[in-house]
Amino acid sequence: MTGLLRSRRGAVILFGLAALIPIVVRDAYFLDSLVLILLWGALSAAWNVAGGYAGQVSIGHASFFGIGAYAAALMVTRFGRGPWLGMLVGVVLSIGAGFVIGFLSNRLKGPYFALSTIAFSQVLLIGVSRWRGFTAGAEGIPVPFRPGFATLGLTHVGWVYMALAVALVCHAVEVYLERSRVGYQLAGVREDEDAAEALGIPTRRLKVGAVTLSAALTSVCGSLWAQYVGFVDPTYVFSVDLSVRFALNAIIGGMGTALGPFLGSILITSLETYLRATFAGVKAGFTGIYLIIYGTALILVVRFVPDGLAGIATRLRMRRAHA
Amino acid sequence: MDPARRLGSAQIGVLVPLAVATVLLGGIYALISVGLTLIFGIMRVVNFAHGEFLMLGMYLAFWAFYLYTADPYFVVFVAIPLFFVVGLVVYGLVMRGVIHASHNVQIFTTVGLSTVLQNVALVAWSGDFRFVRPWHLSTVLRAGSTTFNLTQVVASFIAITLTLALVAFMKWTHAGRVMRATAQDRDAATLMGIDTDRVYQLTFAIGIAAVGAAGVLVAPLYSVYPTAGLQFVLLSYVVVVLGGLGDMLGAMIGSLIVAAVEVAGSYLFGVAWKEIFYFILFILVLVFRPAGLFGQRGAETLGV
Amino acid sequence: MPRFVFLLAVVALTVAFGGELAPVGGQATSGEYKIGVLEPITGPLAFEGKRHVEGLEVVRDLINERGGVMGKKLVFALADAVDPTAAATEANRLITREGVKIITGTFSSRLCGAASEVAARHNVIYWESSCVDPRFNARGLKYVFRTEIDATGFGWYNIEFIAKHLAPKLSLKTNQIKIAFLSEDSSYGQGVTESARQRAKNEFGMQEVMLEYYNWQTLNDMTPTILKMKQLNPDIVHHIGFGNDAVLFWRQSKEQNFLFKALVHAGATGYGGADFGKALGNDANGVFALLEPGPGFRLEALKPEGQQIEKAFRDAVQKKTGTYPFGAHQLAGSGLWLLKLVLDRAKSDDPEKFRAAVMSVDLPVGSMINGWGVKFSEQGQNANDRVQHYMLQWQNGQLVTVWPEEFTTLRAKWIPLGAWDQRK
Repeated sequence: MTGLLRSRRGAVILFGLAALIPIVVRDAYFLDSLVLILLWGALSAAWNVAGGYAGQVSIGHASFFGIGAYAAALMVTRFGRGPWLGMLVGVVLSIGAGFVIGFLSNRLKGPYFALSTIAFSQVLLIGVSRWRGFTAGAEGIPVPFRPGFATLGLTHVGWVYMALAVALVCHAVEVYLERSRVGYQLAGVREDEDAAEALGIPTRRLKVGAVTLSAALTSVCGSLWAQYVGFVDPTYVFSVDLSVRFALNAIIGGMGTALGPFLGSILITSLETYLRATFAGVKAGFTGIYLIIYGTALILVVRFVPDGLAGIATRLRMRRAHA
Repeated sequence: MDPARRLGSAQIGVLVPLAVATVLLGGIYALISVGLTLIFGIMRVVNFAHGEFLMLGMYLAFWAFYLYTADPYFVVFVAIPLFFVVGLVVYGLVMRGVIHASHNVQIFTTVGLSTVLQNVALVAWSGDFRFVRPWHLSTVLRAGSTTFNLTQVVASFIAITLTLALVAFMKWTHAGRVMRATAQDRDAATLMGIDTDRVYQLTFAIGIAAVGAAGVLVAPLYSVYPTAGLQFVLLSYVVVVLGGLGDMLGAMIGSLIVAAVEVAGSYLFGVAWKEIFYFILFILVLVFRPAGLFGQRGAETLGV
Repeated sequence: MPRFVFLLAVVALTVAFGGELAPVGGQATSGEYKIGVLEPITGPLAFEGKRHVEGLEVVRDLINERGGVMGKKLVFALADAVDPTAAATEANRLITREGVKIITGTFSSRLCGAASEVAARHNVIYWESSCVDPRFNARGLKYVFRTEIDATGFGWYNIEFIAKHLAPKLSLKTNQIKIAFLSEDSSYGQGVTESARQRAKNEFGMQEVMLEYYNWQTLNDMTPTILKMKQLNPDIVHHIGFGNDAVLFWRQSKEQNFLFKALVHAGATGYGGADFGKALGNDANGVFALLEPGPGFRLEALKPEGQQIEKAFRDAVQKKTGTYPFGAHQLAGSGLWLLKLVLDRAKSDDPEKFRAAVMSVDLPVGSMINGWGVKFSEQGQNANDRVQHYMLQWQNGQLVTVWPEEFTTLRAKWIPLGAWDQRK
């Protein structure tokens, strides 16, 4: 156990910090930012399971996010049950959607697959927008806040720990994929699918499994987000922007590493909230700067530092070891 | 039940205007997609930033119109060389390094480029919706009882001309043949002494010039705003995939198909559903015939 | 690795939050009273959000000229609500960092829902001036108020106009009218259209020949729909547009020579926005839009205090923007003015005292900007019959007031619309 903790020092420090902060800091805005960092990080980690570990790069993960968000919101507003039940339903539905995407991943490669995931998320967006009778259409659904754990009406501190819990779960899944036999097989599929298949690895099943798992985790985060922000509307929760965001955090932080998505999220979410707070008002347009930085970083990272920030760290450590 | 469906034979008289609408819309979609077909076909790169170059073209038309009252039909002649240069620059800065890299790298490079361009437009010009409304926007041509919007007609006409010009270029010029050879077999082309880097540079530049010009021409028909590219990029990919890898005439037919699906869907089921039809069509084609209606079978699993 | 990660985390957090850990800029400055203003200043709704801010600034200056609120100068802490997550986060920031006790905004139904939930959690007053989602006041939140009527009120007024004013002039009985409903699909369009449909059918027996919704941002061609409508031959087209979709429909209807007797819209966007007139010039003639009062409005029809503030408001907007107030100005401005009236009464921003003051205000039609009256329901909603709305018509490049007739000197023209090139 201590061995595990030692090799995961980075994660321990990061999550430990996150756990300690609410004890010291009570400022609601700060905690709100922390929740968002953890939640976006968890979402990127979930994406990473399919994108980084299985090599199935999707730009349509908002599909699962949206399904989770709507399931939770509808369960509360339309059926009068709790969001946890909604989360469960969302997971089931997302697994189904994950199967579809997984099926596509077996038929299509690389950019074609990415395109199909975008199309899938847009089909969902339009479908939900039009189904006014059930989903309230493009109007969206306001999610009421009722204090209590069962209704996910948590305090700011409560939300930090909730987001932290989800982040830890996603992180644990990633670590598992790094260390387990399944994970090694998945790595094989990612690196060279034909070779892996020749070795007898069940590539198709593994790919579908990875995508489905990723979908389920994303859906859980979506359900939480719905309760946190309090409003679900299709143009946001199914947007391509969101899908891209999940991927970009992971890539900049380090695709295929467990901590990468969280590193990426820290940087990007902090930058975003800082810029928005500073530039609201006259120079409001400047809030878009964080995305310009983000996009440029992405281009540079993906070309020169494909392992992302975590990769830089690893290389520094190795250099130190060899010095 | 949608009252429209109860009308029966009265609908025959509507077929002609619907067909006209299809052709005109298809022309516009073809114009937007022709550049992408070229880049996709020759370089085998899926350029997610394609819509953003279109958006930049639209903004060029807007600012030229707003500041100098320049009509888009004149601006387009400026746009072509301008965007050609832009294409060269973007290729040198961004694309050259990733042309031989893995798909993921290419995808995310262009996604990053798309994010950057969108937000540069947002920061520089704000998110307000802008409009280009030249005098001829409301002009209609009438043939019998059918009306044609002039701006749409010109855009379609230019699309056809441009596509035919590119097809001719590819078929009969030396440069075109070199490009096609590189597309067929990159390594063999290198062995034959072709400078593939120059080929890609030229291809990309032409492709961007085409889409920039398209942006200028369609600006009067749509609102201009930083994220305008998104709806077009998805549409262009549907067209390109339907038409098959790099087949420009196939892309024109693909445009017509997409336009037909959209127009028919809007008429029969309501305009709310129009996009969903061609997205579903897209997914179906990707699943059952990913190389498009005219492309080579199996191209998609060979890693493009 | 661990050291690096640790350093990175600390550096990133410090840089990002250093500013945020700074002392809260609360209501420290004496002589000033700060409220939060949450509007979409960037993003797809920016074109309206910015007008709202303009309207708010104009009225803020008018208020400060008249002694401010509770004896202090009114100042704004502005925040940009570009999407629901940002709206919630920024609301949070306004409350915890800027220390505001009242937030006003937010124009769009997507944003006001999320932001008001945050405010409610912190017991901060939410003073909404224009989002029209009918569910806004149905959530049981005690300190959330809305000064404008919701979309259902618009629909109600539209049908009132059609039934009581248009039908007689068209020599049609209300149950003979064929009406086609077309609308953008946000909660605004849906709210207005659904309430109009209901009243049209249930109260007047009008015949609904079509109902269609669409996404206004991605719409690029309305020809198929127009062709369908030509077949259906409606008398009245009830079209709720949001932006360029209005221009597109009107322009393409002319192209296809689609003839009908009247088009009715509601709200400050789409047909009711300045851009529509700019785009179409005199081609826009004849379109009706339910709005706040425009040229032709008889100030004399208002109560004295209403006349004063309405005139001051119009002059100030004219001076600041060079134009007659647009709907966005009027909604935001009137909302802020009403806030001042309430604060003057409550003499405090304590939520309970504030709420009591809100409930106690009872002003008849004609007392305020836009000729509004005031009477809030238990749910915090200003009443339909107090928030007088007016029907305006595009006449030669201007949106002029034509109904109710006692409030205006001008009259509606082109009923029925007639041929496209005959509307001079």
